[in-house]
Amino acid sequence: MSLLQDQTVKLRAWAPKSGWLAWRNYDFQLTTYAVLLTMFGLAMAYSNSVGSTHEPLTINSPFVRSIMWGVVAVVVLGLMTVFDYKWLKSFAWPLYLINLGLLVLTLRVGVGTGEAGTAARWVVIAGFQFQFSEMAKIIMVLVFAAFLADRQDKIKSPWTIMQMLIVLGPPWILVLMQPDLGTSLVLVATVAGLLFMSGASLFWLGTLATAVLAAIPFVWTHMADYQQARLLTVLNPWADPQGAGYQVIQAQTAVNAGGIAGKGLTNGQVALPVSSTDFVWGVLAEELGLIGAIVVLVLFTLLLWRMLAASWRATEPFAMLLGAGMATMIFFQVVVNVGMVIGLVPVTGIPLPFVSYGGASLVSLAAGLGTLQSANLRRERPAW
Amino acid sequence: MSITSASGRGELRNAYRFGMFVLAIAFGITTLTARMFYLQVVQSQPANNVTSNSQATELESIPAPRGLIYDASGKPLVQNIVDFSVTVTPVDLPREQEETVAQRLGSILNLDPIYIETQIDGTTGSLYVPVKIADGVSASIASFIEENTDALPGVKISQTQKREYLTGQLFSDVLGYEGRITETQYQQLKSQGYSDQDIVGQAGLEGYYESELRGTPGNQTVALDAQGEPIPDLVTHGKNPISGDSLTLNLDTHEQQLAAAALAWGVRAAKVKQGVIIVENPQNGQILAMVSLPTYNDQLFADGISGSDFQALLTDPNQPLINKAIGGQYAPGSTYKLVTATAGLQDGSINTTQTLVSQPYIQIGDFKYWEWDRHGWGPLNIYQGFSYSSDTFFYQLATEVGLKDLTYWGDQYGFGKPTGIDLPETATGIVPTNAWKMATQNDPMYTGEIMYAGIGQGYDSVTPMQLLNAYSALANGGNVWQPQIVKSITDGATGAVTQVQPVLMNKLPASAATLETIRVAARQVVTSRHTGDLTDIPAIKIAGKTGTAEFGVLDQRGRLPYHEWFIGFTPADPYVDDFTKPDSQLAVIAFIYGANTWGNVATEVVKTYMLLHYKVISRQALALDRRTPGYIMGWVYRTTNFYGNNSRD
Repeated sequence: MSLLQDQTVKLRAWAPKSGWLAWRNYDFQLTTYAVLLTMFGLAMAYSNSVGSTHEPLTINSPFVRSIMWGVVAVVVLGLMTVFDYKWLKSFAWPLYLINLGLLVLTLRVGVGTGEAGTAARWVVIAGFQFQFSEMAKIIMVLVFAAFLADRQDKIKSPWTIMQMLIVLGPPWILVLMQPDLGTSLVLVATVAGLLFMSGASLFWLGTLATAVLAAIPFVWTHMADYQQARLLTVLNPWADPQGAGYQVIQAQTAVNAGGIAGKGLTNGQVALPVSSTDFVWGVLAEELGLIGAIVVLVLFTLLLWRMLAASWRATEPFAMLLGAGMATMIFFQVVVNVGMVIGLVPVTGIPLPFVSYGGASLVSLAAGLGTLQSANLRRERPAW
Repeated sequence: MSITSASGRGELRNAYRFGMFVLAIAFGITTLTARMFYLQVVQSQPANNVTSNSQATELESIPAPRGLIYDASGKPLVQNIVDFSVTVTPVDLPREQEETVAQRLGSILNLDPIYIETQIDGTTGSLYVPVKIADGVSASIASFIEENTDALPGVKISQTQKREYLTGQLFSDVLGYEGRITETQYQQLKSQGYSDQDIVGQAGLEGYYESELRGTPGNQTVALDAQGEPIPDLVTHGKNPISGDSLTLNLDTHEQQLAAAALAWGVRAAKVKQGVIIVENPQNGQILAMVSLPTYNDQLFADGISGSDFQALLTDPNQPLINKAIGGQYAPGSTYKLVTATAGLQDGSINTTQTLVSQPYIQIGDFKYWEWDRHGWGPLNIYQGFSYSSDTFFYQLATEVGLKDLTYWGDQYGFGKPTGIDLPETATGIVPTNAWKMATQNDPMYTGEIMYAGIGQGYDSVTPMQLLNAYSALANGGNVWQPQIVKSITDGATGAVTQVQPVLMNKLPASAATLETIRVAARQVVTSRHTGDLTDIPAIKIAGKTGTAEFGVLDQRGRLPYHEWFIGFTPADPYVDDFTKPDSQLAVIAFIYGANTWGNVATEVVKTYMLLHYKVISRQALALDRRTPGYIMGWVYRTTNFYGNNSRD
């Protein structure tokens, strides 16, 4: 079997596939789940746009904007699918530098919106706000995957972990300076997931994790007040019901009110902060109920399953790590975003992939999915 | 564990770690689902109850929007705003949760939890009666509490209307305020559907027009859920509330501002606290402005006045809560010579050509009744007697006329009884009679007392409103009109406007000639410059009467404090010096309480108002005077060749 595989490699290595045969490896399920999740996102954006009073849609409403971004996302998905993902590996380091440049740009010219507090996370391009830290997540998955793929021979070395952390450092600090605690946590989680899946030394990973835990008291004292408050709030939201606890209380009230079947789209009544982005799950739970919530969670599970399948079937480390990295990133975001709404984890500004309103998030996810599909298409299959 | 081998691509696809990852995902998604199930099924709240539990209902009263009040130009003086208050119903709050709820409420409302617990525990009434925890809560906090009632058992938001007075303190004494219904009021109003928790008008127009302003409350039936909480969606409208009637006043904000500015200047110049100014149209009794100082902020009452603030207002020696225009009674001093002069001319004790000799004093027994300047002027006719305000002249006239005629004419002018003004009139003044003196002091009126009664001292006492209304009757040829604050009433339900018609309280049985004589004499008060010098201002022709009434106790320099009065009126054409016709459109009274100035401040106040009203000077110019109280006096001095006002009477 391995002989056969080797021959196949020789025959088809690096060769772009042509004709419909290549598309047999296209994972329609993966795209379908992503599209369905995006549909839920559109429904939420619609609900947030018209509200319970059924205001007319405007060009600037989240719903209309979401459709526009959705079109962009479809185009990006297609382009990235057609594009040979292996080129991205070659471009990993230039991409890394561009990424740093964009994050610096965000710090320099970025604007905050009233909705998300004073953080400067958005760059306005031609009237559209764009959050480069969303793109940074995907680019970093590519960079880390490329980096680890090149170090398969010394993957067990603690130096691999150290080097990963050094690569992570600059973008991580730039994101944290915005300040965007959520995205910085996503980056750390992605690195951890990639190291784990790449086969890095469990001993050294465990050592590192222990060191991080030991550093928590030190980090705590250096945290911004609002960050401390958010962490404490998960323990007792009623300590500061009009301040840090407000979001948590309101979100849980919304979830409580949803019940099994929900109140129906646009019928949500509980006032939620950042209801179209970070707290979209509260709106979803109130309006679509437990049924809607379970459907979305199942869709996420299936999506992650297809990503891991892509990773599992990959025939070379870069593709395998791409799938694993994407899955880690999305899984972490789902757990944290949903978890914070239902009071399981502290409130951090992390969007729910596909569902939260946000052009940068959606387009970046589409780019990542496209890359994964590109890897699917260009997979060397055992010829049986 | 590695599946790949010969290809030499390292540990690609570590199945163990893939397995771990899948387990992690399974664990994560399961946890989220379980928690969602717990929150949405086990802990599910109101949304589910809406359809199931709706047998219990409750009849709720919906308060009617209170009628508004507008000034003569249609400018609103008051508006209704919504106020939220937080209450706790003790029976709905389980004992063991009280501390938690108090802490939560405390952090929401920024109150001490101990205070909240004390409020709840300290209630003496039924456990079913809600205890008020906080008033004036913002809408956002109110909706936050309403959305989180499950975490706050027993806590309710009630929405109440509250008044917002839009002109500061300018109209406080006229508009009055609302307050919690008193026990006496409740007993009276119970039959009209008032509850013992109601807020009702307590003073001013709010009190006088309570039944018009209140409107008709509506009601609705609300369904209650299992916890006894009303379900917002299940409301049956019973009866819609009908708005209260709105009032449009004769008072005009601009005139009120001018009057207030003039009076404020006067009390500041005289270094006193209390004073009154009223402006009336003598032709129909419409009140155009009414200011009583010191005043208070009626918004304090609308916002729910604190006990200490209320005590401070009640115990203030200057009695800011009393509208002194209708609620204060004072000796009228020489202004009352109007009554004596009318009586004398009518019963023939004197005519326009007869004279009485003014002297330094008139002695009755051992007691000397002094002329005010302690010299006298010799023989004076009625014009001179009135315009010089000779006390000895009027002592003699009063004796001639006799007490019976004096009280008759006092009564005819409206003294000693309510004017009928549409405000809660608490003072009626005194016109002393033998019967009154016998009843109160078991003694008849002595000659000296009758003499005093003829010059407005002794037992005479009037309210500023009565005095102005009496001079209005003089100015309009004998009609004692009912003073009217409200011009029209707009029905809250239909919008129909009812004009308030002038009400003639009394037609003076005095001849036109008598009144014309006194009007001309009143003009001479101003032009003869014996007492009213300062009011003779260029261009504007004013007639009037000064008054000074001593009262109280001597100060360190042996002087008595005294009230200062001036009532002035202008002809229909204020630029033509003709007071023979009863056509005046404007009469103004100023009253200064307890002054100790050299000269009459009240004349200055009326004059200042006239200057402002007829646009001789601007309010801005008067405002400059804030730093230099002598500014107006200086201005008048320069422009009128005024030689000084040393008159005391």
